[in-house]
Amino acid sequence: MKILTTVKKVVDVELNIHVKDGAIVEDGLQYVINAWDENAVETTVQLKEQTGAETTLVSIGGGDNTDIIRRCYAMGIERGIHIEDPALDKADSFIYARVLQKVFEQGDYDLVITGKQAQDTDNGQTGIILAEYLGLPCVSNVIGVEVIDDKHLKVSRAGDAGTEIVEVELPAVITVDVSINEPRLPQMRGLMMAKKKKIEVMDLAALGTSAEEIGCAAPKSEVIEFMESEKRSGGRKFEGDPAEVTAQVVELLASEAKVI
Amino acid sequence: MNPYLMSFLILVALAVFARTMTGRIKLLMALEPADRFNRIKDRLVNLVVIAIGQKRLVGRARERSSGIMHAFIFWGFCVLLIRSLMLYGEGFQEGFRLPVFGHENLLGYLYLVVKDIMEGIVLVMVLYAIYRRAVIKPKRLHNSFEAYLVLAMIGILMISDLLYDGARCNLVNIYHAAGISYLNHPGYGPEFAWTPVARAAASLIGGLGQPALDGLMQAMFWLHICTQLTFLNILPLGKHFHVITALPNVFFKSLDYPHDKPKLLDLEDEDAWENETLGLNHIHQLTWKQGLDLYTCTECGRCKDVCPAYVTDKPLNLFEFNDHLKHELLENADNIIKRAELVRQLEQCRDQQEAEKIKEKISGLNSQKQLVGEVIGEDTLWACTTCRACEEVCPVTIEHVPRIIAMRQGQVLMAEAYPKELNPALKGLERNGNPWGIGYDKRADWAEGLEVKTMAEDSDVEYLFWVGCAGSFDDRSKKVSKALAQILQKAGVSFAILGTEEKCTGDFARKAGNEMLYQMMAQENIETLNNYGVKKIITACPHCLNTLKHEYPQMGGNYEVIHHSQFIARLISEGRIRLKPSVSGALTYHDPCYLGRYNNVFDQPRSILKDVCQGSFKELERCGQESFCCGAGGGRMWMEENIGKRINLERTEEIVRQQVSSVAVGCPFCLTMIEDGMKELEKEEEIRTLDIAELVAMSLA
Ligand code: SF4
Ligand code: SF4
Repeated sequence: MKILTTVKKVVDVELNIHVKDGAIVEDGLQYVINAWDENAVETTVQLKEQTGAETTLVSIGGGDNTDIIRRCYAMGIERGIHIEDPALDKADSFIYARVLQKVFEQGDYDLVITGKQAQDTDNGQTGIILAEYLGLPCVSNVIGVEVIDDKHLKVSRAGDAGTEIVEVELPAVITVDVSINEPRLPQMRGLMMAKKKKIEVMDLAALGTSAEEIGCAAPKSEVIEFMESEKRSGGRKFEGDPAEVTAQVVELLASEAKVI
Repeated sequence: MNPYLMSFLILVALAVFARTMTGRIKLLMALEPADRFNRIKDRLVNLVVIAIGQKRLVGRARERSSGIMHAFIFWGFCVLLIRSLMLYGEGFQEGFRLPVFGHENLLGYLYLVVKDIMEGIVLVMVLYAIYRRAVIKPKRLHNSFEAYLVLAMIGILMISDLLYDGARCNLVNIYHAAGISYLNHPGYGPEFAWTPVARAAASLIGGLGQPALDGLMQAMFWLHICTQLTFLNILPLGKHFHVITALPNVFFKSLDYPHDKPKLLDLEDEDAWENETLGLNHIHQLTWKQGLDLYTCTECGRCKDVCPAYVTDKPLNLFEFNDHLKHELLENADNIIKRAELVRQLEQCRDQQEAEKIKEKISGLNSQKQLVGEVIGEDTLWACTTCRACEEVCPVTIEHVPRIIAMRQGQVLMAEAYPKELNPALKGLERNGNPWGIGYDKRADWAEGLEVKTMAEDSDVEYLFWVGCAGSFDDRSKKVSKALAQILQKAGVSFAILGTEEKCTGDFARKAGNEMLYQMMAQENIETLNNYGVKKIITACPHCLNTLKHEYPQMGGNYEVIHHSQFIARLISEGRIRLKPSVSGALTYHDPCYLGRYNNVFDQPRSILKDVCQGSFKELERCGQESFCCGAGGGRMWMEENIGKRINLERTEEIVRQQVSSVAVGCPFCLTMIEDGMKELEKEEEIRTLDIAELVAMSLA
């Protein structure tokens, strides 16, 4: 089995993100692997351990992605591709999906695993659109994978009404949820060895395509402005006699919160 | 008596003994190096105080009776050494005396008194030791055949010598009554006036006539000699090897810092990854001093008696830990010696092919057993909180913790086998420089509105207040940071914090074997600190204190680091702050391991607490040097504790038993652990858990 896994570099959302003049203040920010993609990598490595699958990782944009790709090497991924092209600066999910389509077509992959969404935009589109472009079956929000045979997977997904168990024929695309597993930390030895491992960096031309073909000039969605999220004000603590406290709270709910 | 028999016995016994000892010493020499030959004077002081003075045996209130027993047996042995020499002399020439201990010298008589009384005391001690093992049965003791055998032999040595003397005493009297000098020398006889115990023995055999006495003397003599030579040869085979190795082991103990600091591993060295030399992965990677430690363990069990892990039923029994390592070491002795020889050859080998061959041979000599997994259990290795209680009570100064950390390094770096619950904390460290994983940009949020400067704003200050991760991110500990800032401001101390530039010191990562993350943290911190030219640091966290003070110098960070309790005590004594006792009710204090046992700070916290307390100050049952860990050290704060009783509960119950209204701590992790314990016991309303800084801030006049 050959698996293609996608990884996006995103801003660390543990940090307070500040906005100035409609743009994000870069100073003090740090970038990490998208949490869902870490689960995708973990899923991939587990499948590799079970079936001896070949593993390839692709990451698009983000400038210098060496760090995060090395981390994935140290988690057990064998090959890493980084697509970097100035034309992709304003890429949206559709454009990412097109690029991934090109990558997919260059190798002969049986399975694509992506995180179900990215921490920065929370769109949750790319994997699904990719499946559409490739004309492959797609299972989203996956919380468990089992290999049936070379050509079939048994996949559980969190649906609205409960867990759905789906049998899917390969090749296919799955997008995984964080609850699917607990990503391992990179191996120490792996981190050392990863320094020597090559990362294949390509632009669109090297990928055998062009900005026009991908549609970079006309993204379907565009970021117009960033706005700082409102700070949550701290909760309030009431102490004292239960009857009094209740009266106080009711009063405040009516006068301040205006919910009753 | 019989020079031929005597010579024969001595030769055989010494030959066997020399053979065993050469094997043991060769094995030590084949182990890794340890630099323990410096500062001879300090080492001699340790030797005199700890080994010869038996400090850890007679000095511990909890173990005084057995300590005194052991000390007297030991001192008795020292005294009797001279006597033994004379006895061997008698084998060749009856009535032999060492020159200065002869009849002509007062010293000879004085020695006899001491020897005689010591013999009596040792005999009583041996009887007490047997009674203790057989009847009292202290829990820490591991009863073995060897233990009884050795006690019996010591008993035989004393009895035979006393009867020998007793028989001679009676003979002398018989000779004198007949007007003859014993051994044709008038000097024999008066000495017995000095030896009450021998005379008591003499009166026991008072009814015997001359031939019987002659026979008894002969029998006792040879019994004594044979027992002694057998004893000598039994020593190296078991736990009684300590009779020989304890003195050197104490002599070679660590100086200054209480044990070997974790080795600064060269993580860039590719060969080290290849050859698995990072951390302790194979038995041959022990240092010779660690080997000597294993030889020396007396199986007394004092260590496990105070070990928080053992006491709360974790599978960590230090005496077994040592024993298993020792067996593994001895089982592999031949291979280890061969291996060391090959390594030497390899170093000198210039020929590529030859070198490959040697390398192959070397790897074939590794032990067949996994050090962690087969020799030492994983749960055993990870149960340790690195509290050092064990090391502090060990009479022969065995250092357990460095070994444990080195084995953890091996597990983390080489085998990737460690408790996975650590992952979130490690990841938080890597990304945001703190085990909570909270965004690093929120590190100084606690100080909002307090007018605390950061170094970036003004680095022209005398002190850096190192806040630490808990003080920065843990809601409870943030209050301690605020209290300390308030005290410093009140005293007009010139200080600043690093704010978002501070990162975890890496203590827990290092103690959990993750040298890579530790070095990452340390390197970045040292860079920041050196950039600002920081010289003096105050911190409220003993783990930060210990790492900044003792471990950062390994990487080029040299600072004067002081715990807030020490600093506050200084502010009080200099009159820079004044306190009015404002803490009502009785107060007790829990000594943090990394403040007390690691850094010897015991008095300042107590003196401060006595100043703020209106009621009485009570010590806990286990306090000071023998304080009981809260359970959070050594990375345990970030691991599950699901075997046995929880350590923090054991400690909290002890605090509750003291019937106090507050317990003071000096460490953010102790604060969390004990407060959690109080909540679990539903005592948090009755007994407040507070940091020293909070108590002082409450009492500022
Ligand atoms: S390590 Fe020390 S305290 Fe523990 S059993 Fe051995 S000698 Fe006794
Ligand atoms: S350091 Fe503490 S927890 Fe570890 S073995 Fe020693 S006494 Fe037990």
